[in-house]
Amino acid sequence: MLLRFIISRLGSAVILAIGIILVSFTLTALLPGDAASSRLGERAAADPEIMAATRRRYGLDQPLYIQFFVYLGNLLRGDLGTSIRTQKPVLTDLAQFAPASAELAIAATVIAIIFGVGLGIIASLRANGVIDQGLRVVSLGGVSIPIFWLALIAVFLFSITFRIFPSSGRLDPGQTPPQQITGMYTFDSLFTGNWVLFVSALSHLILPALVLAAPMVGLLLRFTRSSMLEVLGNEYVRAAEAKGLPAHTVVLRHVLRGALVPVITVLGTAFASLLAGTVLVEQIFGWPGIGAYAFRSASNLDLPAIVGVTLFVAIVYITVNLIVDFLYGVVDPRIRRA
Amino acid sequence: MRISRGGVFVAAVLAGALALTGCTPGGSTDPGTDVIKDTLIVGKSFDLATADPARSFETTGGIFGRAVYDTLLTFGKGDSTTPIPMVAKSYVANDGATEYTFALRDDVVFSDGTPLTSADVVFSFDRVKNIQGNGSFLMEGLSVSAPDANTVVITSDKPNTAIPAIITAQTLGIVNSKVVKENGGTDAADASTADTAEAFLNTTSAGSGPYMLETFNTDTETVLVANPNYWGDPAPYKKVVLKNATAENQLTDIQSGTIDIALDLGNDQLPAIASDPNLAIESSVSPTLFFLFSNANPEISKVTSTQAFRDAVKYGIDYNGILELAGQGAQQTPGVVPSIFLGALDPSDATVRDIDKAKAAVASLGTIPAISLEYPSDFSVAGINFGTVAERVQANLKEVGLEITLAPSPIATSLATYRAGTEQMGLWLWNPDYPDPADYLVFAPGNIVGLRAGWSADANSDLVALANKAAVTTDNAERKDIYREYQLAMNEAGVFVPLFQPSASVVASKSIKGAVFSAVFGIDLTFIGK
Repeated sequence: MLLRFIISRLGSAVILAIGIILVSFTLTALLPGDAASSRLGERAAADPEIMAATRRRYGLDQPLYIQFFVYLGNLLRGDLGTSIRTQKPVLTDLAQFAPASAELAIAATVIAIIFGVGLGIIASLRANGVIDQGLRVVSLGGVSIPIFWLALIAVFLFSITFRIFPSSGRLDPGQTPPQQITGMYTFDSLFTGNWVLFVSALSHLILPALVLAAPMVGLLLRFTRSSMLEVLGNEYVRAAEAKGLPAHTVVLRHVLRGALVPVITVLGTAFASLLAGTVLVEQIFGWPGIGAYAFRSASNLDLPAIVGVTLFVAIVYITVNLIVDFLYGVVDPRIRRA
Repeated sequence: MRISRGGVFVAAVLAGALALTGCTPGGSTDPGTDVIKDTLIVGKSFDLATADPARSFETTGGIFGRAVYDTLLTFGKGDSTTPIPMVAKSYVANDGATEYTFALRDDVVFSDGTPLTSADVVFSFDRVKNIQGNGSFLMEGLSVSAPDANTVVITSDKPNTAIPAIITAQTLGIVNSKVVKENGGTDAADASTADTAEAFLNTTSAGSGPYMLETFNTDTETVLVANPNYWGDPAPYKKVVLKNATAENQLTDIQSGTIDIALDLGNDQLPAIASDPNLAIESSVSPTLFFLFSNANPEISKVTSTQAFRDAVKYGIDYNGILELAGQGAQQTPGVVPSIFLGALDPSDATVRDIDKAKAAVASLGTIPAISLEYPSDFSVAGINFGTVAERVQANLKEVGLEITLAPSPIATSLATYRAGTEQMGLWLWNPDYPDPADYLVFAPGNIVGLRAGWSADANSDLVALANKAAVTTDNAERKDIYREYQLAMNEAGVFVPLFQPSASVVASKSIKGAVFSAVFGIDLTFIGK
């Protein structure tokens, strides 16, 4: 049953991916502009021989449909093409930039879950009290404060004024990144036992991750609180309390578990907005992630890179949705049976 | 409430991490002191594409290349007009300026200790010529030979006084021919397809400059280390990090001490740091030329191709108002040749706004449709956004009765229409390829930029003749006069309206010496710390 479910989801994911490639490939190629020309300087672009050589080099002299099928053929062999801008295989570029974004997104998600769910639980247990009122303000602030504003304030306070955290980058300038295992510098420096790099990587990660987590904290706090309140009123909770179970057992094992389904749904949605927010945060904190890569690729009409990033983001979304579906079943066995 | 052991561990890790990271971030300098640290960190918004000098033609590539690859001639600190010896200790030109003979120093060695000879120069120059890259045009009409190990002769197929300036370009940086050949390099005629040395040169440099490449990354940072075999004075820094950062990031980085030098701060950002006691701001006028054009091709626009329309634009622009937008230190450019080069017009030659003349020109046009003004919307230089300037142009011209529709688009798109010569009006810039007025002959009818404005060679034969004469005139006094004449005639025609040169600022920690703007290289790293 579970296998059929996974196979059917994966099948639709492949069809979706092909559709995404077709759309992004066609739209990018049809954009007014010339990728070969944008790669060349003023004088070289005026030289027909150099233009022709550049087109040949990147396969831009072929009709669009041939370019598309060549791309698909290469894709089947795991080749996403070569970036016109960086001159490196797109897969190599993605291996460099995607872990940077993933590291930021994971750190932000962990922070959001810890604070969002934790504070949500506290708010629900102290419903309508002073703490709850205070946390509502926090939640509202998290959701409504524009992320770029928060980022700028954070940089001003913690990087420029107090100099607690670095203002940009993933490591101090000139530091050699750790040997690539996951591509996430905090993990890789830990795995390789390089504490100096770990400290540097962590100090660069904290501020952007906190900023990125802020809206998600607000969202999770609100949903956890309302979902918890809904479950708290159920009779089985009163029964658990009446049985004399300790308060933390009632809250964590009975109430929270029942309240998690809508929270997981929100988490999935929030992850999508988190990816969008990553682009902004990466820009402000000079974080060399997938957002910055996508932006620079789009600015240069770098077709292989644009399609590669689009495909990558689509795969992330599809995977996150699969995980969310799977988690429903884990949290609530009734869903798995259905 | 009892806290579990797991909770204690997590809290301890977090607290420890926060404590460990609560140190002063990055940065190699100690503001306010004169101590030279081992590492210099330079913030730059990268346009880096390659570390192969023959293929490199970007600003960041120029900064990197100047520090790693020596050239025959170069420029002194803060100067961009008189080439001075580098690998060549002297040179002589024949009377017709068609043959330049360079005598090379005999003590120059590459970073691996190999002596640099004339064969390396010939290989490097021929490789640039045949590789069909962005900088290949520098060798157009030139050939190079080596009569002996310490002499190089450059021959031009027509008189060319720009050669000493041209060979300062980092694209013509001299590579170790033996090493490059061993790694797939060739200077043969088929180098555009046969040369495969770029990948090698993106990991290992093969130059004779004071620095060597340690790591090369077009998106994050490129790191240089001191060349232990450098033939000149040793490099003052053991390591130089070129850090890719947007202008906004550079501002926060320089304020927080993460970087030592910021190269791309715009006039709008400078007030934020003007009173910072730890930072020094060095501003000078940039050679970048912002200009406006009206397409001279009637097939593109029957309106913009008329003299009346050009006059309306030329006299309708409020140049002083636009200068205010460009910020402090910007200058109106009286002609297409920027003020720092030979032959530049005097400020008194600049066109001034004359509303009556402009209105009369508009009246003579009768009823005309709105004209579109195209410009790149996602591109700014020295903090100057094209959109802001375009809006001011639109407002200025509306005052004299011209309806202009703004048509911004991303640079990748607008560049294509600009280069295709299909824009009715365009707002663009030109950066010098080499520091000589000859570079500005591209604006003449029938030349590259002229054609982008739909201005074919047969549209103004007098100007074409003037440009051709300027290209082959060798006497400097004569050159000065003829370039002036050329620009005055260009202004008269009015297809191009030179607007301004922005100011360029280098912001550095006060402990850094020698951080000054270079009109040729952006910044010359080899002067910093000396």
